Amino acid sequence: MTCEEFAIAGLELRASADNGPLQQAAREHLRDCPHCAALHENWRALRDHLHALGVESRDAEPASRVEMRLLQEFRTKHRTVRTRRTAAVAVWALAAAAVLLGTVSWINWRRQEATTAARSHGLVKATGTAQSNPNPPSVTGPAAMELGDVVVAANSGDFAILPGSIPPSLGDATVVRVQMQRSALSALGLTVNEEHGADWIQVDLLVGDEGLPQAVRLPQSTD
Amino acid sequence: MQIDLQERDDVLLRRSAKGDEDAFAELYRRHHAPIYRFALRMTGNRWAAEEIVQEVFMTLVREPRKYDPQRGALAAFLYGVARNRVMKHLERLPRELSLENADGTPRSQAFTTDPVTPAHWAELRERREQVRSAVLELPVEFREAIVLCELEEMSYEEAARTLDCPVGTIRSRLHRGRALLLAKLEMLRQVPKRANAGH
Repeated sequence: MTCEEFAIAGLELRASADNGPLQQAAREHLRDCPHCAALHENWRALRDHLHALGVESRDAEPASRVEMRLLQEFRTKHRTVRTRRTAAVAVWALAAAAVLLGTVSWINWRRQEATTAARSHGLVKATGTAQSNPNPPSVTGPAAMELGDVVVAANSGDFAILPGSIPPSLGDATVVRVQMQRSALSALGLTVNEEHGADWIQVDLLVGDEGLPQAVRLPQSTD
Repeated sequence: MQIDLQERDDVLLRRSAKGDEDAFAELYRRHHAPIYRFALRMTGNRWAAEEIVQEVFMTLVREPRKYDPQRGALAAFLYGVARNRVMKHLERLPRELSLENADGTPRSQAFTTDPVTPAHWAELRERREQVRSAVLELPVEFREAIVLCELEEMSYEEAARTLDCPVGTIRSRLHRGRALLLAKLEMLRQVPKRANAGH
């Protein structure tokens, strides 16, 4: 072993070290070289000092205020995050509630509009004599279209009140089935598609006790 | 065992990231001492070491995702952060010798506490202070190697993992560091000259 090799590997030599070939060569070199022997001796002394320094600070710990400060920071950070999350959830919940409220209001408004329109034309449920009608009315096809925006329920016995008529008292009303040309409906105040004005249709008229038609229904399509 | 420890550190860090204070406290208790010792031995300053420990763990609080378990143990990650902080500190204060001992007691106080062999103790103490100063004067890369392998008594492999460099680098840094220390402490003076360089 040369002095350079010893400087690199030989300084690791310890009294209780193993007896590998490198260690043996280093020991032999130590015996023969006073320079490396002195160097090794100095290194051992220095290592003792280093070891003592290590031992001296082995139990060194930071002051407890460091941990307290860190925990405080930890709490602050996570409290802020939690607050932000809660605020975000609250904002989204409020937004959803506002949208829901708006939707419900709109639907109600639409429904109210439809009800108002229906009321303005009148929706009369015919009972009593009307129930004796053997042909339950069905409102479909072009005939239904002729009634414009008058709402006629698909249930049997539903009459659309004629414009300008006062809802009759049901006990005195009579249902009269008549055949008429479609254009004749215009005389009752209903809108008629002029293209089919010459068609013959069958209608049920609800006639009041004064003999005037009050409401009309289409029991079946004549097309 | 190490894998278990790493997994547990992972679990603790995940819990800590979700706001579990106990998990964070446990992580701190587990890792703060070696980080503090490393910072203390590298800077020679108790206040700076405490500051560095705080900054290291603050990283875990603020950016827990910076740690990637695939890249190594949490301890190595923390050492890495501590190293960066130490470097920054040393850049700010190129050479700052503390007026305190490593344990925080003033140096002058330490001389009066051993009643047994005052003269010998004082000499020993003085020598140790010289060694401490010499270590603090070493270039950072050699100081790291000396601190980890000689003071912290890590194996070369552990030191290499901690500093994220090959074992050979640790060996050569140690070799250079030791030579520098011997030179600084004038321990080479008494050494007789080589009879033959190629000996």
